[in-house]
Amino acid sequence: MSFERPWLLALGILGAIVVTMLFQRAERARDAQSLEYSSLQFFAQAVRPRTWPVAALRLAFVAALACFAFALGGARLSLPMPVRDGTVFICIDTSGSMASTDVQPTRAQAAQEAARAFVAETVRGTRVGIIAFATSAEVVLAPSADRDAVRAALDALPSPNGATAIGDALQLAERGLPATGHRVVVLVTDGVNNAGVDPQQVAAELGALHVPIYTIGIGTPSGDIIGGTQATIDEAALQAYARVSGGAYAHVEDARALRDALARLGRVTSFARQPVDGTTGFLALGAVLVVVTLLAGLARGSVP
Amino acid sequence: MTLREALLRGRRRPRRFGAGSPTSYRGDGYEFVELRAYVPGDDVRRIDWAATARAGDLQTRVVLEDVALTLAAVLDDSPSMRVGRARALIDAAREACETWFAAASAGDRCLRVAPDHASPPYAPVTAAFDLRRSLQTARAALPRGCALLVASDWFALHDDDDALLVSLARAFDCTALVARDPWYDGLPLQGIVRLRGADGGSLRAYIGRRERAAFAAAVRERDAKTHAMLQRCGWRTGTLREEDGTAALAGTFGLHAIEARRG
Repeated sequence: MSFERPWLLALGILGAIVVTMLFQRAERARDAQSLEYSSLQFFAQAVRPRTWPVAALRLAFVAALACFAFALGGARLSLPMPVRDGTVFICIDTSGSMASTDVQPTRAQAAQEAARAFVAETVRGTRVGIIAFATSAEVVLAPSADRDAVRAALDALPSPNGATAIGDALQLAERGLPATGHRVVVLVTDGVNNAGVDPQQVAAELGALHVPIYTIGIGTPSGDIIGGTQATIDEAALQAYARVSGGAYAHVEDARALRDALARLGRVTSFARQPVDGTTGFLALGAVLVVVTLLAGLARGSVP
Repeated sequence: MTLREALLRGRRRPRRFGAGSPTSYRGDGYEFVELRAYVPGDDVRRIDWAATARAGDLQTRVVLEDVALTLAAVLDDSPSMRVGRARALIDAAREACETWFAAASAGDRCLRVAPDHASPPYAPVTAAFDLRRSLQTARAALPRGCALLVASDWFALHDDDDALLVSLARAFDCTALVARDPWYDGLPLQGIVRLRGADGGSLRAYIGRRERAAFAAAVRERDAKTHAMLQRCGWRTGTLREEDGTAALAGTFGLHAIEARRG
């Protein structure tokens, strides 16, 4: 949170402290006129009076004062706001190892299902593009806000075959993304880059353009033998792509986890932290808290 | 019947040690109490022949022995007795003590028991009130057989005090006035309330229906428990209401009104 008028915030806090002190003084005066009972100890033991409503009202009152002080100081908040015109490229590995069945039914089909879940979670208006990569990479669908087109593109993914050109896929995504706006790349793979350009370099370029790469590694540690070679994941490399671009890495070992991870990403990539003017919000919240405190206090027999 | 007579009658009740000690210079006594049917063993000199003639059966005149009483009182003047709805409980307690001492006749002795000593009724008391210490002082300082009145809210009474109460009841004719909680009939509070303790401190809390019911139950339970404990220990008990201390004392002895007789 930042403040446009910090000196007014300081003044507001000072005012809140003065109001609180005056309130406490008035409360002490009211205490002196309050009802007297023989033994408070007996009363407390017998009744077990509820003190939380008093504490809640006091807290609400203090919170209202704080809200007014923040509004006075021109508070600006950095909040995750839904991005309606974002662009996301999903790069799906279609190399031979994706035919592995350690993730049911196959890694490729699980990735397709998970990508559908991702699309379902994105905010309407988000443009989603699909890139399939094996020995080379190809754009299956240019970024589109049409959900049906995205689903159709996912159905049209090529069968698992060939090497793994992660760098080529990232490069295609970099070229296909708009120059500005909220842009994200999601990379789903189960292998090691063994063809095309250096993905680390492309990831750094995307990072420089403020395009985060969210990488998801699929597969069990034992993996599967595909074409006479063990299908393994280069987790360190995937983590590095995510780190250098400002994204995140997740490793999944089954279809459900993959689906959950992509669905979560669908929500994450649809929101971006944006500075928001909090003056009106804090003012409204403070007013609501004051009204609620007064009404609740009156209903309970005392204005805090 | 006067309070003094009631105390003297109390002497004759079985299992009560009784108040007062016989004097050697006033004889058998002639203060009339009642007429009742003759029972074998009654002194034939006490047969009222006129009443016998009227009733057709032998009637015995019951008279009081002439004795010198020692009337002692413990007056709880702790902060918790200074509360009340219309007036402080301590005022009613003082009233009861004044009536108690006013019951003394010539030759009787009156003492007020403070935590550290027993002194004449109107001598100033400087020590802060302490129920347990006052009762211990009473046990040590008062003559055996005296009539002891304790007017207190008994907040300081604990379950392990029964030995002290029993020892007092064995030595004296003990009467306890238990101050009724000013809010016995209901807590006059609802919602968020502020309370001050008589002995200091304050409380701010929410009082709802549940709290009111819990308070009513607790107050009644404490009152009943205090009376039961004192009675179990051999004390005569009564309820001290803030409205009238004299009436409270009269009620304790089953009297409609007390005819105060200054000695």
